[in-house]
Amino acid sequence: MSQTPKMLKDLGALAGAIMASGVSVVAPSAGPGPSRFRRLASAEELAMPRVNTQLPPKEHLFPPTEPLLRFRYRGTDVELTDPPLPAEKLVLLGVRPCDAAGIALLDAVFLADPTDPFYAARRANATIVAVGCARADDDCFCTAVGLSPHSSYGSDLLLLPAEGGYLAEAVTDKGRQLVAAHASLFTDAASARAAAPPKLQRASLDGVDEQLQAAFADARWAAIAARCLGCACCASVCPTCHCFDIADEASARSGVRLRSWDACGLEMFTKHTSGHNPRPNQPARFRQRVMHKLSYSVASLGRPLCVGCGRCISHCPVGMDIHQAAAQFATSG
Amino acid sequence: MSESWEPRIVAFVCNWCTYVGADLAGTSRRTYAPNVRIIRLPCSGRIDPRFIVRALEQGADGVLVSGCHPGDCHYTKGNYYARRRYLVFNSLLNLLGLEPDRVRFAWVSAAEGNKWAELVNLTVDAVRALGPLKLYAEPSEAAPVLQSSSEQTAGGMPAIDTELAERGVRQAARELLEGGDAELVIGYVQTPNGTVVPGFVSTPAEAERLVWNDRCVHNLTTYLTGERIGANGKVAVVVKGCDARAAVALMQESQLDRQRVKLIGVECHGVRGECGQLADKCGACELHTPHICDVLASADGAVSRPEAPGTEPTSFPASQRVKAELAELMAMSPAQRLAFWRAELSRCVRCYACRAVCPLCYCQICAADRNQPQYLAPGSDWKGALSWEVTRALHLAGRCVGCGECVRACPQGIRLDLIQSFLADVVQRELGSVSGADPQALPPLSTFRPEDPEEFIL
Repeated sequence: MSQTPKMLKDLGALAGAIMASGVSVVAPSAGPGPSRFRRLASAEELAMPRVNTQLPPKEHLFPPTEPLLRFRYRGTDVELTDPPLPAEKLVLLGVRPCDAAGIALLDAVFLADPTDPFYAARRANATIVAVGCARADDDCFCTAVGLSPHSSYGSDLLLLPAEGGYLAEAVTDKGRQLVAAHASLFTDAASARAAAPPKLQRASLDGVDEQLQAAFADARWAAIAARCLGCACCASVCPTCHCFDIADEASARSGVRLRSWDACGLEMFTKHTSGHNPRPNQPARFRQRVMHKLSYSVASLGRPLCVGCGRCISHCPVGMDIHQAAAQFATSG
Repeated sequence: MSESWEPRIVAFVCNWCTYVGADLAGTSRRTYAPNVRIIRLPCSGRIDPRFIVRALEQGADGVLVSGCHPGDCHYTKGNYYARRRYLVFNSLLNLLGLEPDRVRFAWVSAAEGNKWAELVNLTVDAVRALGPLKLYAEPSEAAPVLQSSSEQTAGGMPAIDTELAERGVRQAARELLEGGDAELVIGYVQTPNGTVVPGFVSTPAEAERLVWNDRCVHNLTTYLTGERIGANGKVAVVVKGCDARAAVALMQESQLDRQRVKLIGVECHGVRGECGQLADKCGACELHTPHICDVLASADGAVSRPEAPGTEPTSFPASQRVKAELAELMAMSPAQRLAFWRAELSRCVRCYACRAVCPLCYCQICAADRNQPQYLAPGSDWKGALSWEVTRALHLAGRCVGCGECVRACPQGIRLDLIQSFLADVVQRELGSVSGADPQALPPLSTFRPEDPEEFIL
């Protein structure tokens, strides 16, 4: 792709222009509770975080709970109704590269055969505009899992901080269409260069997938996870965790089948009807999380299912640290 | 509202009195509104507030709860327990902003057929005036933002050196391990990254790893129950004053055996909460020295084994900010309160982190995890969130010690502290009970007094 580099001066102006074109903008904005991506009512609400939002944009593509079908008993028959597929066009604006990569990984799960129709509909209607990081914090480790603060993986349009605005890189057709639709906001800037990405402190986890596999039965897991409380906050704040549970909310006559987030850190996740639990304790459950993120997924998806956003580390009430846990096995071989 | 709408009232009634009273109303040829569906239970003490919530979830417009008059219980005292539970539940509904006439409580004896008929008519008229239940419909007004949330802070960090107390904690741990009083000490350690986390040491030499400073925010008594590391064997646990309250609450419920568990109390003058500021709970702390412990590490470095290390707490540790926020909430209209809670609780994703970190949530199987029958609406939409949050709030009412771990853990930042502070105030005011204070006391909802308040019961 050899186009003249384009500059975007003002992120807010882009948000405003997109909204004016009748497309929703979902972006970091202030509000009650943790910082997160919200549907903007006006461009002024856009509030880019210093590093990243406390919650990832995942919930806008894969909501915490959603109806899969509705049912109603008609005599001896059951009448099934499909909920309408989401049709709202939206731009996820101000996504950090780690979270954009997170969306690419959700794609790898939900768009693979069999495709998830609800996710696919939301995804088809969404354009991801990522903004490269100018800063990182102590828990960031995207570079340890093969990404970077300026990575374009998962973005449709990547905006990298540069002098006087953002250097725009249209990564996909969706991104190019977005730039074309708002061409007046993007100026030619042949000589513009993106600012250097921030340096991250944490060591690379390259190759740790095999070392983890070898360490499955390692006695150290018990000590590493002794303090883990099994609250599964790590999954709630994770941009790539995608496990779900399905339950009916029903009365005697009708009901709805709901899909809701679930997490491998929870005891109930693997508990059998018999009472047997193949992951009988918290170390086994914590190990599963580390393994799935950093080892199994390398075999199944070709890369770690972790994007190094560091949220699970920052948020954990007892300071569990997936990077530190995995790094122990990386160094000791 | 459609022309043909009729209020649907579900009545949960005691088999021995109200049910017979309703029968008497019928045999006496009393006419009354046909809108009520009666569900008969063995005792008002069996009428779990969750049933009431479930009825509303399933389409009831109003709920009537009725049992035997105090003193008349078929099982001697079931209604006394129920009365306390309804007091708390009624207060919770008020806090959440549900219209007060939707859920009514009454005592109706087997002889009071007339009272039953009048009660039903009264309830049906009241609910008819309110219209269909809109609790689960789209909200009619925007969620208010609490002004006092940003105005008040707990204050700055006190300039207290923690180094001497840290040595004391290490010494206490070492002595307990050496003397065989403990095989495991649950305390705080620092990770290579500099984070302070719960840590476990099992040899006297390892005791040197223990740290004590203002980042020791965690309540370690959580590790003493269930299948956690401190649930079995001889264990010592480091407790701040607030954590000692949780230990006392566990003792009250026979979940903490002092022969098995030794408490290493540590004098604390505040820990850091979010943003490195003094944690909210510390602003209202009256327990710088734990009121109960086996060994005490004082700030001056002294290690002692006092009979009564400190005085019992006299109230729930609600900060000035929380009190101001609650005052602001209660000054709102019920509809505004409902809008506030709807926005707040709708963020819940049912991850149950609040449950996992809570030292007092130790049930082997939580009601939320049961699906035969399904007690709670399963989704993490507003309906499901309300179902869970009401259940949790009631189960912790009068037991919660305000350690703040649930708020710290909640990935959605839901203000669970507001709910528990409110209920703790109700329990202290109406039932004279302070959580985590006296190890000999019973939890307030596990006991009763014949003269308990019942103004809200018809």
